[in-house]
Amino acid sequence: MVAYDLSRRSVLRLIGAGGASLIVGCVPLPVKAGKADEQKPLEPNAFVKIDPNGDVTVTISKSDMGQGVRTTFAMIVAEELDADWTKVKVENAKADKVYGGQGTGGSSSTRTMYTKLRKAGATARAMLVAAAAQKWGVEASSCTTSLGKVMHPSGKSATYGELTGAAATLALPTDVPLKSKADFKILGKATGRVDNHDVVTGQAVYGQDVKVPNAVTAVVARTPAFGATLKSFDDSAARKVPGVLDVIKLGSGVAVVGENTWAAISGREALKVDWDLGPNGALDSAELEKRMVAAVGEHQSMPSGAKVVEATFDFPFLAHCTMEPMNATADVRDGTCTVWAPTQAPDGAQGSVARMLGIPAENVVVHTTLLGGGFGRRFSSEFVAEAVEISKAMKRPARVLWTREDDMRHDQYRPMSHHSLKGAVDGSGAPVGWSHQIIWPRSTRAIGGYGNARIPYNINGSGMAEGGADSPIPTGAWRSVEHTQLIPANECFIDELAVAAGKDPYEFRKQFVNDDRLKRVLMAAAEKGDWGKSLPKGWGRGIACFSGYGSCVAHVAEVEVKGDEIKVHRVVAVVDPGMALNPKGVEAQIMGACCDALSTTLKVKVTIEKGGVVEGSFPDYDWLRMGETPKIEIHIMESGETPGGMGEVGYPSVPAAVANAVHAATGKRARRFPIRISELV
Amino acid sequence: MAQYKLNVNGTTKTVEAPADMPLLWALRDLMGLTGTKYGCGISACGACTVLLDNKETRSCQVTVSEVGNKKVTTIEGLSKDGSHPLQKAWVEHDVPQCGYCQSGQIMAAAALLAEKKNPTDADIDEVFNEHVCRCGTYQRIREAIHLAAKGGE
Ligand code: FES
Ligand code: FES
Repeated sequence: MVAYDLSRRSVLRLIGAGGASLIVGCVPLPVKAGKADEQKPLEPNAFVKIDPNGDVTVTISKSDMGQGVRTTFAMIVAEELDADWTKVKVENAKADKVYGGQGTGGSSSTRTMYTKLRKAGATARAMLVAAAAQKWGVEASSCTTSLGKVMHPSGKSATYGELTGAAATLALPTDVPLKSKADFKILGKATGRVDNHDVVTGQAVYGQDVKVPNAVTAVVARTPAFGATLKSFDDSAARKVPGVLDVIKLGSGVAVVGENTWAAISGREALKVDWDLGPNGALDSAELEKRMVAAVGEHQSMPSGAKVVEATFDFPFLAHCTMEPMNATADVRDGTCTVWAPTQAPDGAQGSVARMLGIPAENVVVHTTLLGGGFGRRFSSEFVAEAVEISKAMKRPARVLWTREDDMRHDQYRPMSHHSLKGAVDGSGAPVGWSHQIIWPRSTRAIGGYGNARIPYNINGSGMAEGGADSPIPTGAWRSVEHTQLIPANECFIDELAVAAGKDPYEFRKQFVNDDRLKRVLMAAAEKGDWGKSLPKGWGRGIACFSGYGSCVAHVAEVEVKGDEIKVHRVVAVVDPGMALNPKGVEAQIMGACCDALSTTLKVKVTIEKGGVVEGSFPDYDWLRMGETPKIEIHIMESGETPGGMGEVGYPSVPAAVANAVHAATGKRARRFPIRISELV
Repeated sequence: MAQYKLNVNGTTKTVEAPADMPLLWALRDLMGLTGTKYGCGISACGACTVLLDNKETRSCQVTVSEVGNKKVTTIEGLSKDGSHPLQKAWVEHDVPQCGYCQSGQIMAAAALLAEKKNPTDADIDEVFNEHVCRCGTYQRIREAIHLAAKGGE
């Protein structure tokens, strides 16, 4: 064995048996000069490579945070390639323009990449077929493919591996035909994750698991309040902690750099920092809420003679609390930088590192690892910037680790919001007015809802308006973004209009819904969820629906209210994903989003006190547990050939279905989330 | 700093560490066994779960100096090739989403099955209510444990 220096060009990724990529420092394999053509792989585009041994490698340009995009993308390419699924491996793409946008969010990965990846697979297949036809002197159109082989009616057959060399010499075909859905063999089949083997054997490589020789580990002492500044620090005790290498002032705080994680954590404990709390040192949640309520303006007028209903809803800030806290590793040297990070935006990170160091983007290599959860949190790159800053200062590769408390108290939070709704029903029981004012912290981007209520119901003159209140709390995207608040507010309020109209909430929705796909899932959910059937005393059933990201869903929740406790016993979800590329994946997303929504509807919130976040870890940000998870029944109802987004659609209607069920059980409405029985009105 | 001889996954490893270093960081940073995960460091999530003499143990709560002669089993030591019934059941039920919590979940399940061959839902709840899965894979974890308990049939 020879020991090698880790230099940029020699960083290869090896592909584990189960497909997860393991990043290691080693030298590139020597290219064997003068080898015959057959030894050449076929690599017709950036997304697929077929090796002479028949292995198919699919390059994944989006980040996998648990939504299963590595599996789905591989399935799409393999389908059009007619690959043998057991020979398909996946490899994460580095940040590179060749892949198009790599930012992963908005449930857009499959929707934007579906056709592109199908073409990538179909192109490779066409070239392999052409190579076989040429070799056999037959028409390409008379050949068929299956399980990684080209076959001809004469009985001739060749594996893809045997054809790569010849295929690689051919010109790229244009306009390759794509399969029809009826011929799909892989897509549409329930398929396990490509990473499962590595996960269950502990070999999967997340950001924290990247092993870069000679790397130091840092933790950062961070501001106790948003807007606080560093006055001074005393690192004399920290530097005496065994294994502490250095203490460095960063933009975001003071980094304690150690030989390993424990040294860094212990060093930070011994560090004395004096902060100036700054302008927000007295700010708390109540003050922020007051500002929001004050920002509500006049509602549009309701038709005269109609019965008017009014309601408000309040949602708190939420921390993403990804299971793997923020972290990144960077190696800055000689005008270049290599980054290993669990990021949802590898290209974004590449650009920001390049700007930070004043070097061209090409000199920044970003390797995306597996992500231990994302949910929108890993779009921003501040943790990458820290690793870069520390590596630059230490002149060594550096890893920064955020402790759970760092992660929870320095998130880009799901914004808090205040909603004021006014609506009306006429004498016939039809909704005739709808006005929704939504107030965000001003730090949050506006969602542009003016003049469009974003409700799937026919209500003349319905509208929505946005306003802002001053807030220094950093905010960002969260699973299903603004829909986590808009839809619960809307779907609770439509329930209230139904009751005001003297109608059943499900029948009312069904009558006025203006989206056919949504109507279908709504009706199916009512049926599967036993809508209208009796329940024990103290129980209630609620319904809600949502259409977005190219998919739609309806939920029916069954709850029991006992004293102060809300127990959700059952949730029925009917989802129309357009086409379900991987039914197991669809089910996992709907289940995961449901658990998310139950956590935030019944349990967690972020509280601001003294300008900072109170909650720090699982004891006070108590995520849903197994024993609290209801029976979740998921029904998939396909409606076509276009796959819709799946990561986010399962969240927004759950809080409303639960809140409406609580109303059915108690006759009282939830005005604040998470729902507390003592706060019902 | 002192030297500690630890029995990990059947082999003896010597590490040099301060006495108060949690086993979690010794495994991850000093032995390169990164299958055991950090989730909270305060015994609140279960991501760091390993077996100590076959008992469920949070490796963030035991220091290297406390381990002594006890046998440490990490996810890497459950089986090399994923052939342990729990690993197979996890794959069969496609349990992982992001997967980050799953080594801890599997190790907890291993300890549970060592104690109770056929755990009830209530037995499973009792153990797993202490384990967070941020992705919400609980339903499949439960199914996988039942499958493994039945011998994978
Ligand atoms: S890291 Fe040990 S319990 Fe969370
Ligand atoms: S699978 Fe992501 S935290 Fe459990």
